[in-house]
Amino acid sequence: MDDVDEVFKALADPTRRRLLDELFERDGQSLSELEAGLPMTRFGVMKHLRVLEDAGLITTHKRGRSKHHFLNPVPIRLIHDRWVSKYAEPWAAGLSGLKSELESEETGP
Amino acid sequence: MTDSDDRYAVIDGAGSMTAFEIYIKTDPERLWEAITDPQMRARYSFGVETRSDWTPGSRYEAGVPGVIDIAAGENVEVDPPRRLVQTFNALWSDDVKAVGESRVTWEIEPVGTSCRLTVIHDQLPDGANSEVYGGWPMILSGLKTLIESGEQLDTPGSLRYSGARDA
Repeated sequence: MDDVDEVFKALADPTRRRLLDELFERDGQSLSELEAGLPMTRFGVMKHLRVLEDAGLITTHKRGRSKHHFLNPVPIRLIHDRWVSKYAEPWAAGLSGLKSELESEETGP
Repeated sequence: MTDSDDRYAVIDGAGSMTAFEIYIKTDPERLWEAITDPQMRARYSFGVETRSDWTPGSRYEAGVPGVIDIAAGENVEVDPPRRLVQTFNALWSDDVKAVGESRVTWEIEPVGTSCRLTVIHDQLPDGANSEVYGGWPMILSGLKTLIESGEQLDTPGSLRYSGARDA
């Protein structure tokens, strides 16, 4: 399966989006912390976290004996860049032009 | 992606932390070069070159000479092509300077014909200005595009300082 398929599949669920929202608010939460905010069993939350991790949308790291979950927005950024960068380019070029113009005015007579 | 519990080394507990991860179809040597070569780095990092001799304990500086300083710090661990640990001081505004020194760890792990690149930005004060670490997704996405396609990904960020020196 394409990486992008996994990202969209992972995002196509309100509980998983809610988990990402939770991590966006406060990154690095443990399973117990994430579970406390959801009307769901520990096992259910674990299953959703696994789908998110397989899609690369969260990463886990151990701190001491506990495992912490971190939002990894890079796959979403890749999707953004794939379809949006073309539209952003003229904007950026315009902005750099403006910047050069302003800077040359500053150093002008 | 199995055995995720064992994928990462234990991290220490100091400060707040963010972690970014990306898979790039390349070998570790090429990825290391893209991170440490000033011109390659500039192509996916807001047009900003990062200069250093990349020896353990050496300094590095990122910026556009005469225009803006972006970041500086020490290369604490240099283990090519697998691991780079740097202190990080953001310099592009008074707000980000106020955040003080944090730490950035780059880890390159070969996975089949690709590499997993993990960037951990930690030892940040709680509630640190998100500008300090918010650029990583954009940078890593641009890095993947550059390596896999040879194309530069033009986003407002990637063009921010390109050509600024000549302006």
